[in-house]
Amino acid sequence: MAPSINSQQRWRGVYRYLERTGPFANEGFEPGEKVKDFLHTIKVLVVGAGGLGCELLKDLALTGFTDIHVIDMDTIDISNLNRQFLFRAADLGKPKAEVAADFVMKRVPGCKITPYFGKIQDKDEEYYSQFTIIICGLDSVEARRWMNATVINMYDEDDPETLKPIIDGGTEGFKGQSRIILPHFTACYECSLDMQTKPTTYPMCTIANTPRLPEHCIEWASVLEWPRTFPDKKLDGDDPEHIKWLLDQASARARQYDITGVTYSLTQGVVKNIIPAIASTNAIVAASCATEAFKIATNCATYMSNYMMYVGEQGVYTYTFELQKKDDCPVCGAVAIKIDVPANSTLQDLIDLLMERKDIRLKAPSLRTGSGSLYMQAPRALRDATAPNLVKPLRELLEDGGEITVTDQALPISMNVTVRFSD
Amino acid sequence: MSIADSKTQKYDRQLRLWHAHGQAALERSKVCLLNGSGVGTEIVKNLILPGIGSLVVVDSAIVSDSDLGENFFVTPAHVGQPRAKAVSDLLLELNGDVHGDYLQEDPEAMIERSPEFFKQFTLVIATQISGKSLRRLADICWEQDVALIIVQAHGLVGYARIQVREHTIVESHPEQIVDLRFDSPFPALAAFADSFDLDAMDSLAHSHMPYIILLLKALNTWKQSHNAALPSNRDEREEFKQLVRTQERKEPGVENLNFEEALASAYRAWTPTTIPSSIQSILDDTRAAENLTPDTPDFWIIARAVRDFVANEGHGLLPLPGTVPDMHSDTESYVNLQTIYRTKARQDAAAVAARVTELVALAGRAERPIALDEIDRFCKNAAFVKVLRYRSFAEESDPRTAEAKTIGNALASDPRDNAAWYVALRAGEECKEHLGRWPGEPDSTSGHEVDVESDAAVLRDAIATYLAARGLPTDAVSNDHVVEFVRAAGANLHVTAALLGGVVSQEAIKLLTRQYVPIDNTVVFDGVRSVASVYRL
Ligand SMILES: [Zn+2]
Repeated sequence: MAPSINSQQRWRGVYRYLERTGPFANEGFEPGEKVKDFLHTIKVLVVGAGGLGCELLKDLALTGFTDIHVIDMDTIDISNLNRQFLFRAADLGKPKAEVAADFVMKRVPGCKITPYFGKIQDKDEEYYSQFTIIICGLDSVEARRWMNATVINMYDEDDPETLKPIIDGGTEGFKGQSRIILPHFTACYECSLDMQTKPTTYPMCTIANTPRLPEHCIEWASVLEWPRTFPDKKLDGDDPEHIKWLLDQASARARQYDITGVTYSLTQGVVKNIIPAIASTNAIVAASCATEAFKIATNCATYMSNYMMYVGEQGVYTYTFELQKKDDCPVCGAVAIKIDVPANSTLQDLIDLLMERKDIRLKAPSLRTGSGSLYMQAPRALRDATAPNLVKPLRELLEDGGEITVTDQALPISMNVTVRFSD
Repeated sequence: MSIADSKTQKYDRQLRLWHAHGQAALERSKVCLLNGSGVGTEIVKNLILPGIGSLVVVDSAIVSDSDLGENFFVTPAHVGQPRAKAVSDLLLELNGDVHGDYLQEDPEAMIERSPEFFKQFTLVIATQISGKSLRRLADICWEQDVALIIVQAHGLVGYARIQVREHTIVESHPEQIVDLRFDSPFPALAAFADSFDLDAMDSLAHSHMPYIILLLKALNTWKQSHNAALPSNRDEREEFKQLVRTQERKEPGVENLNFEEALASAYRAWTPTTIPSSIQSILDDTRAAENLTPDTPDFWIIARAVRDFVANEGHGLLPLPGTVPDMHSDTESYVNLQTIYRTKARQDAAAVAARVTELVALAGRAERPIALDEIDRFCKNAAFVKVLRYRSFAEESDPRTAEAKTIGNALASDPRDNAAWYVALRAGEECKEHLGRWPGEPDSTSGHEVDVESDAAVLRDAIATYLAARGLPTDAVSNDHVVEFVRAAGANLHVTAALLGGVVSQEAIKLLTRQYVPIDNTVVFDGVRSVASVYRL
């Protein structure tokens, strides 16, 4: 090992931005030692140690962040190795967060990375409140919604310390996006939920009766045949034996209907809802997120405002724009969502209507008014007690223009809905 | 259909994008990296991971403390050692499938002394090379027909430029390929549509008739009363839709999804099947039309065969792709439709393949036939193939042949356009040649404090000279850009290196797999606004 690293030399690129100001510096930027110290001491959190997470840890460590935490519940799989460059064949099966943290700490001395192998839901507000910036490299809509709602709920306008910027990235093939969420100041993840494409689903009657595509045969095998044949065994998309069984069933059905194109790769793709992923796109999106983290931490340049789409299939195209906050956002909005229904429709109809809305996307909603529960999913006794309300017409349960509160077990969301009778 | 081997598993997420033949092309590629800089290693990291064939790093630098804050592929233990070896060791460790080597040589000296060295590569990536050496390298690559990507990072700004003489693409991966021939149904398709009697069907069969049949029948009826012409104006089109609707049965409890789809796709029925002009000009290109030689690339031989097909068996149309989009249908009708389109596509491809065999013999390369898969892919993508002919870096650099208007117009329409960074980079490089450092960069030899004001004045003059030589207003680049450029002073930020590493490796993959469409020819990324712009310069 070299005896000691000259930090003025090591960070000369970063310091060039921090020692002088310029016309594109952010408001309030003060060049000098203080901002350098700040960069080198603040705590940041990386959520996810996969394709984006590996890149983020490297980028942040080489930008001068020295206290980084990383949280991920996954272990390393062979299909990660084409892009998650901190992992090697010898690491298969080990926790991503731990292997990634070790690797970067060895490669970049002076940077401390604290891994947590587990779920984001394991941690509470106290844990999340220790970080100055939270950077997410997640692959699921649900995890993002949870992080977004949790961090936004932490904000207390009397205490500026509780404002935690979220930087969020995502990729698919040659496309990706990065965005900044400043709770209550910019649009949040929930504000833009209707921009997220839902995973492809196939109608059950097509799967059961009129298959046309190889995907229909695979869905038939996994959704209908597997539970029928193995009622007690959970289907595991990572178990090659399971995929092989599905492949055989799907192939037989495809032959029966003269459908072509059922392969091992397609079977696995459909069952696991696999999204193509390459190192390059992760690099672009993670670097964009890390650039914004550097700017937010130091104010050395104005931030991106506030959403960038990157499309690389046909040439290079970016679209960077300011995503607007929604007044009736269930997480950060101040205004109740308004919904119009006939007074004669049932509580179940209202729930169906709420579930259909692409901008809300509830999983298992519970509803109550100021005076009591309308329908609660849990605990069981309360569900049984409130279930009879489902078939009652709304006019028996609510006033016209009455406000209800909707919560969802799966999400840290509580939103107000004004129900107006349309007749 | 066996359980995937470990290589297929490792590359699963990328094979879904470029498939086995794209992977094979990637694995045949030989890449040369000039300078194991932060940005250089970030680019090739993203090429080694997906499995290029081989990499050679040319670099004479010695690892210093400053590399440690920019480059992930050096460690403190490497300080004082050759950077070429350090980075290639740590890069190659990423993927055992990739071969690699390094040359501890000054890239600029290689360019000067051994131009033939570059001939062996599929792609040369030049980082931290500018001025005369860069222009010389670009000339060498142009003469030897080797793809070149020039990369420059400067603070929060990134720049990359591709130079290739000609890049042909069969699989450009459009969002969808739909060619259903409503206006000119081939005999098997017309007969299939005629075989159904919509009025005689039970309601279950009726509600499961694929929209292709519904539209073919409606168009047939339409043509009979309109002298075989297609609906050609707004009123006629509305009338045609009405005609489709008259076949719909309104029965309680029956959802007519097929009719909904038919109305949504009605425009396909009245859009004549033609050859897009960009494709026609490829078929008419002299490379396809004349002088086939043993060296004529496969692409052009197949293009010529397709041209001959269009003139003969194709009756003026391209080979049929043969794919049928998913639609509401009973299984049997859909599968029959698929078979009918696919059979016609196979016949078309067979006709093209027969012509290719003749042309291969004519070209004097009968011993090197073209694989049927390759011909099939061309036929399937015939309406979407692409030819990119790049301008050389020499043309761009010479003020007499530069595309100055492109830059001028961009700056005139938006003073914050990334073209400002492009001009600042070019002029900044000029300053660097005179000053021996970037404007604003401390002088490492004298140790003197840098005079930011006077460096800004030097850059401002260089920009004005650069613009004037190209007939552009000398104040086209804002003072803010000048001052910010001097502030960055050639700073190497890892985040910019990583971002360019992603952008350039995507472009390299598109070049090497010959799939998707690379930029033509320059991209500039502004890390302040997070905006990329592409220019043809
Ligand atoms: Zn919101």
